[in-house]
Amino acid sequence: MHLKTLSIIVGKLTLIAGKILKRGSSLPGMLSLAVNPHILNKLTYPKIKLFVTGSSGKGSTAKLIAKTLKDNGYSVCFNDMGSNLKRGVVTTCIKNCNLRGKIKKDILVLEVDERYVKEMYKAIKPNYLIVTNLTKDQPPRQYNIDIILKEIETNIPKETKIITTMDEPYLRNFELDLPNKNIYFSVDKNKYSYKKQIFENLNTYYCPKCGKRLTYDYYNFETLGKYSCLECDLKWNKPEIIGTELSLEEGTIKIGEQVLSIGGDMLFNAYNTLASYTFLKELDIEEENIIKSINTHNHNKNIEFVKKDKLYKALNCKAENATTYNACVFKVYLDPDLKDVIIGWKEISRRYDHYDISWLYDVEFELLNNDTLNKVYAVGIDKENIKKRLLLANIPEEKIITANTLDEIKEDIIKSKSQKVYGILNFDYMDPFTNTFKEDKE
Amino acid sequence: MITIARLYPDELTLYGEIGNIKALTYALDQKNIKYKVIDIDKEDKIEWNKYDLIYLGSGRENYLKEIQKRLLPYKDELLNYIESEKILLVTGNAISIFSFLDLYEVKRYDERIVSDVEATSSLCKGIIKGFQNTEYLLDGSNHVIFNIEKGIGNNKTKLEGFTYKNFYATTMIGPILARNDNLNNYFIELLTK
Repeated sequence: MHLKTLSIIVGKLTLIAGKILKRGSSLPGMLSLAVNPHILNKLTYPKIKLFVTGSSGKGSTAKLIAKTLKDNGYSVCFNDMGSNLKRGVVTTCIKNCNLRGKIKKDILVLEVDERYVKEMYKAIKPNYLIVTNLTKDQPPRQYNIDIILKEIETNIPKETKIITTMDEPYLRNFELDLPNKNIYFSVDKNKYSYKKQIFENLNTYYCPKCGKRLTYDYYNFETLGKYSCLECDLKWNKPEIIGTELSLEEGTIKIGEQVLSIGGDMLFNAYNTLASYTFLKELDIEEENIIKSINTHNHNKNIEFVKKDKLYKALNCKAENATTYNACVFKVYLDPDLKDVIIGWKEISRRYDHYDISWLYDVEFELLNNDTLNKVYAVGIDKENIKKRLLLANIPEEKIITANTLDEIKEDIIKSKSQKVYGILNFDYMDPFTNTFKEDKE
Repeated sequence: MITIARLYPDELTLYGEIGNIKALTYALDQKNIKYKVIDIDKEDKIEWNKYDLIYLGSGRENYLKEIQKRLLPYKDELLNYIESEKILLVTGNAISIFSFLDLYEVKRYDERIVSDVEATSSLCKGIIKGFQNTEYLLDGSNHVIFNIEKGIGNNKTKLEGFTYKNFYATTMIGPILARNDNLNNYFIELLTK
């Protein structure tokens, strides 16, 4: 039997076994790769192939695209269940192909880990690549964004069109380094934009072309904004797709006259939705239908609830990714009401045993230090490290409370004079937050 | 008044390096000691005689090379600064910048060194906890700062860092002073002598 067919059969049998045992994993891909390490080169792919990568937001962006495509009559091969590493991609492809290795779908949508895209470009040759963002992320694993940029650029076919936001000057490196076509989108200046930088320790202060300091007309967040270099010709150029009148309260942005739901109340929701929209516009789908589908699926995913006249709101961050924490801190900073804030996680990383807390000092906790902060609770295994960081942000010690668990602070929070409670939480503390404060155990 | 200079903070900004400055200024505030922090960017002139402590943290490879090139013309001023026993603190891969001073050598490794660190030092009592995430290690075992219990020392030995007068270089990244009050206190005492 041909190695290719054997590899597909092994993968498919493992998929069936997994289904019987009710276990989903990327084991089928792993075994397929063990039989034929080049299996991805042997498959026949749909005509349209999209990779979605970046430091964060790639999963939700790819998911929204896949759902919208299905609404509009396309059949989609998408790794929503498998992992975004190579074995996960192989699992998805094996699941969707016939024994001859042909994937009988209209479009391939793959969320791919930024360290692994280079291993899959040659085999799959994507027509499009979305890079949601490149930020500080998991330093022990990723080191720094220059390394990630190089990895994403390595082996990329010159025909692959690259979709990114115009608002991030660092992402212009693709345009400067590669012959590929770039397609840009932007979030217009909005009521949350600011003139003077409020974050420190950012990745990009200098022009990616000539190295001189960039100037900004306004910032949307961190280094996102309308920038220009006074020394060379690099500047923010108005892209074809621009989202206007952003309203985080409503969870909407406008495309022309049409209102687009961004699926949440965070700025990155707007960027991820616009990335999806920009790709979908490249296909032969009516604009109206794209917006209709996005608005159907992109419903508000915020975790918030009111309990005894107090609003509880959980903001989902990713430990070791200072940008996601900054986004949440910025959200709290924008709220003028008195609030209590809870910061915590179960573990910093599931991937490795390293204990690196340097990223905590890249988060601008200083923005919490004002009169609208009632108390801040540092909870979980790193409560003392969080407290130390908050102290060094000059937050008064009497406002900082440490606790081992959310249960320990429940009574304090319930009795607190503030009417709002924000959780700035790693994803592993999202459910415990809801379970602790929403459920009545009385 | 104590003057702390952050050298090239917008380029050397990889791993929460600002935590070290925050730890120092917080401790100075607690002691009601007056200080100022000056950020020196690549466009700025460096006035070596005005600073009591200069700090440099980790940066991306192309920035490290650029900064070394930028500092080369200042070799004599830098050596004078060190000889006059003012404090120069260098963390993470920024150790590579100062190889041109010929006080120590560095070695670049193809495989990045990523490790938790537990160490002791004659600078202060107790354990020092830190983290390494670097492609450079110091190459030599003279004038070391730390005895490494866990982690990777100079030339992959159990001795880490380099010190001469008040020049301190370590591969430990980011907020090492914020994580270790004992080590922070050592620098505060040095600053306030």
